Amino acid sequence: MNFVKRYLIPRLIQYLLVIFLGITAVFIIPRLLPNDPVNTMIGVMQARGQQLEPGAIDGMVTSLKEMYGLEGSWWEQYVAFWGRLFRGDFGVSFFQFPTTVNEMVGRAMPWTLGLLLTATVINWPLGNIVGGLAGYYSRKPWSRVVDTIAMIVRPQPYYIFAFALLLILGYAIPWFPVAGGTEIGRKIAFNWPTIKDILRHSFLPALSLVILGGAINFQTMKLIVQNVNAESFVQYAKLGGVTENRIVGRYVIRNALLPQITGLALSLGQIFSGALITEIVFSYPGLGGLLFNAIVNGDYNLIMGITVFSIVGIATAILILDLLYPLFDPRVRYT
Amino acid sequence: MSRKMSRRDFMKLLTAGAGGVVLASCTPSEPETITVVETKEVIKEVTATPPSVVQEELADVLGTFPRRETLITDILTGRVGSPDNFNEWVGWKNRDRGMQTLANEPLWSVDFATGEIVNGLADGDPKYNADFTTCEIPLRKGVAWDDGEPFSAADVVFTIETLMSNDQWSAHSFFVENVKSVTAKDDNTVVFELAQPNSRFHTRFLDRWGCTWIMPKHIFEKETDQINFKFNPFVGCGPYKLHSFDPQGFWTAWVKRDDWDKSPAGMMYGEPQPKYIVYQNFANEGAKILAQLTHQADYLNLSSDGLKAILAQSKTSRAYQPTFPWVVNNDPCITGITFNTARAPFDNVEVRWALLLAIDIVAYAATAVDGSGTLSPVHVPHLGAYPKDYIKPMQDWLKKFTIDVDGEAFAPYDPDAPKRIAEYAKGRGYVFPDTPEFTEQAFGLGWYKYAPEVAEKLLLKNGFSKDKDDKWLLPNGKPWKITFLCATDTTTHATRNAMGAVQEWRKFGIDAELFPSDAGANLNGVGDFDVSGNWPAQEPWGAGADLYRTLDWYNTTYIKPVGELTSGHPSRWCSDTLLEIIKELRETDPADTAAVIEVGTRGLQELVKEMPGIPTYGYTGFLAWDETYWTNWPGSENAYSQPYPHWGPFKYQTPKLKATGA
Repeated sequence: MNFVKRYLIPRLIQYLLVIFLGITAVFIIPRLLPNDPVNTMIGVMQARGQQLEPGAIDGMVTSLKEMYGLEGSWWEQYVAFWGRLFRGDFGVSFFQFPTTVNEMVGRAMPWTLGLLLTATVINWPLGNIVGGLAGYYSRKPWSRVVDTIAMIVRPQPYYIFAFALLLILGYAIPWFPVAGGTEIGRKIAFNWPTIKDILRHSFLPALSLVILGGAINFQTMKLIVQNVNAESFVQYAKLGGVTENRIVGRYVIRNALLPQITGLALSLGQIFSGALITEIVFSYPGLGGLLFNAIVNGDYNLIMGITVFSIVGIATAILILDLLYPLFDPRVRYT
Repeated sequence: MSRKMSRRDFMKLLTAGAGGVVLASCTPSEPETITVVETKEVIKEVTATPPSVVQEELADVLGTFPRRETLITDILTGRVGSPDNFNEWVGWKNRDRGMQTLANEPLWSVDFATGEIVNGLADGDPKYNADFTTCEIPLRKGVAWDDGEPFSAADVVFTIETLMSNDQWSAHSFFVENVKSVTAKDDNTVVFELAQPNSRFHTRFLDRWGCTWIMPKHIFEKETDQINFKFNPFVGCGPYKLHSFDPQGFWTAWVKRDDWDKSPAGMMYGEPQPKYIVYQNFANEGAKILAQLTHQADYLNLSSDGLKAILAQSKTSRAYQPTFPWVVNNDPCITGITFNTARAPFDNVEVRWALLLAIDIVAYAATAVDGSGTLSPVHVPHLGAYPKDYIKPMQDWLKKFTIDVDGEAFAPYDPDAPKRIAEYAKGRGYVFPDTPEFTEQAFGLGWYKYAPEVAEKLLLKNGFSKDKDDKWLLPNGKPWKITFLCATDTTTHATRNAMGAVQEWRKFGIDAELFPSDAGANLNGVGDFDVSGNWPAQEPWGAGADLYRTLDWYNTTYIKPVGELTSGHPSRWCSDTLLEIIKELRETDPADTAAVIEVGTRGLQELVKEMPGIPTYGYTGFLAWDETYWTNWPGSENAYSQPYPHWGPFKYQTPKLKATGA
């Protein structure tokens, strides 16, 4: 009961408060931008050749405000927004009216989750295990070779690195496609040709994320392990005749892993924001491009829809991490 | 017999499995390729050169499509946000992904390359009564929707009545304000009774990168919620019909109709050549370039740098013009500078003229587009029929036109400006025909003199002064700072013009600076700017002689106070003289070409005198065609049609394309 009273309930309140404040900020911030969605929509329609007779524009402004739910004061809009949110309804996209935000997010989400979860699930353990071993056996030649590679790879700007991959493996050695999530004409179905096609198209985006993400995890973990390695308990273990495998696995890496677990939780939460640059370089579908276009077009509802997922995702990941932390670190107690 | 799998065995199996998946995914899904002898050339000169021989492997398929029968282009407006929704009468549905270009047929289309208005579903010009309160439109006989249902006047009547019935349709306001009734006189004639005299009512159906299209009555009438109806599959009267689309919005594929001869395009121009046409989105220009270099994209819209990269790398790609300036220079849009005349000192015509005369157009064009734009001294671009109808006939007037500078007349027009730009281009090492015809086509007929000393006199006369550092001060003694609103994308002409102007004005002693913003549409609309890269005048139709679209945009009735969204031109300028001209033009039959030109010329003269915005060069597009699979593109030496794959008349181009048989 102590855990529930003294930790769980305050933590849940904090969790809900973070979500409430985050969503409120998401409601307010787009309205402070100079990008009025109605004016932007009319400007874009004109720029895209839509014939808007000057006399008809006034009528269109009124209609668009009504359709977008932008009539009334901010407070009235805010109350209506929460009302819709509790029903799981983010409204319609302003720009793709009358397509709903739920439909657009739902369409992009599986691609983002598929790519980023896969990349994270591969690069996190890989980077940490190799980094941990390289930190412990830092004088071995293989450790220095891997460290040198990581030092070369990690400072590369992601865009340049990803585009270089595209050039090498999409153009110079054309093993992989240069754009898209599937080949042109592919009808998505749950069968091997479709799965193979999706894997082929997602390989380069995933590889770029795995290599750079892995390099980051590798270097961080290596440095932490080198520090832990110098701790007295490790020296005592060595003097006490504990086997090296046990020291590495149970003493060093387990201790060094704690900050990395926090990083993993944040990474998983941020997945809901998408990976904009990856999507741009590889013309890959996902939430990042959707969010970017929503911001450029002043599509408030779509911005709010995506960022609410992100806020809830990050807050939930941190909550779960907090609750699970004692499993990783026996020193943490909630009593 | 069972054996517990050891950890080592498990790791081996896992590694083998992962490797297998990777290798399988590396395998091209359609592995069959053939080696062919390809004959292609890079066009360096206007005259034809013998083809060189290039040997390379060409793919049989593009995705799941037979490559030799497929034409692939990019989507100008990007990834489609709601790919399964084709209901283009409400909201934005990326209609340039094939709806307006292949599968839809308007009543009329603008073809800016030929300067013609092409009859589509209409069978001729509209007929108005004397006071422009009725409009009768003849419709083409024998047209069928792509599902086989015949097209008739009932479809037109249904469309208009439907649009008027619900204010969520994009065109609702226009038709409610303008239409009293619409009736089908017979199956092939529709008659509009207008709510007010409107001699340009029919232009609502003139496809100029958009118009009101006709709905298939037999499909929409069955829907109770027509606004949310997705209209999937799309049904139109164009020569292509929907084949498939990517649920993520990256591509939309169209297939030639079996009954293409029941489409107006087929009736007029014959059988389209590509069996399939695919519109694909590339999220970055690098991917576009790689796609064309590997022959996976036939037709691309690029930036200036992207075009140069393709021409340098590809042996099979060509631009719109075979030599410098390479660009598409017949887009019906004039770029330049817009002054906010609701804000001092830009409300003063002499200040506006001073700022114009402080521009050296050669340096300006060099900065903006490396000299590749076609100049226009008036507020319509130098393309199609406009030089013949307006710019050439106005040469005498332009040469005689003067402004008063300290009691002396100064003639600002400079017919030699294009030659100076040609000299600049030669100095850059560009090779192009040295003929007057080419100079006019590529660089225009004239612009204005670079006269900073005259500009100085005009400013001094209006109370401006200079400080000890030779910087201009406003009449109130404060430093003159000009903020130039432009786009954040440096490839846009708004920004290119801004860069040219800011450079020239800084050279002249004004503290000018760029203000790049993604909120440009809004800031222009509400008048929150000094000077902007917004088009200095509304684009004309692009075909025909009528300038009503350009001139009416200045109408005072559309001007709103600063802070409110204006319905007219962002300069918020008009004059009594122009108002009279607009009224006169409104009462002129658009089919009376001579009368339209006479009134339109006076409108352009008034704009030159008042200069609410400075026209500089016509919009330049950067287009790359790959000639591996398709040829006979409508380049400048063979401009049988407008060149873009995102304009409506693209469908009229498809019968003239030739498969190479590669």
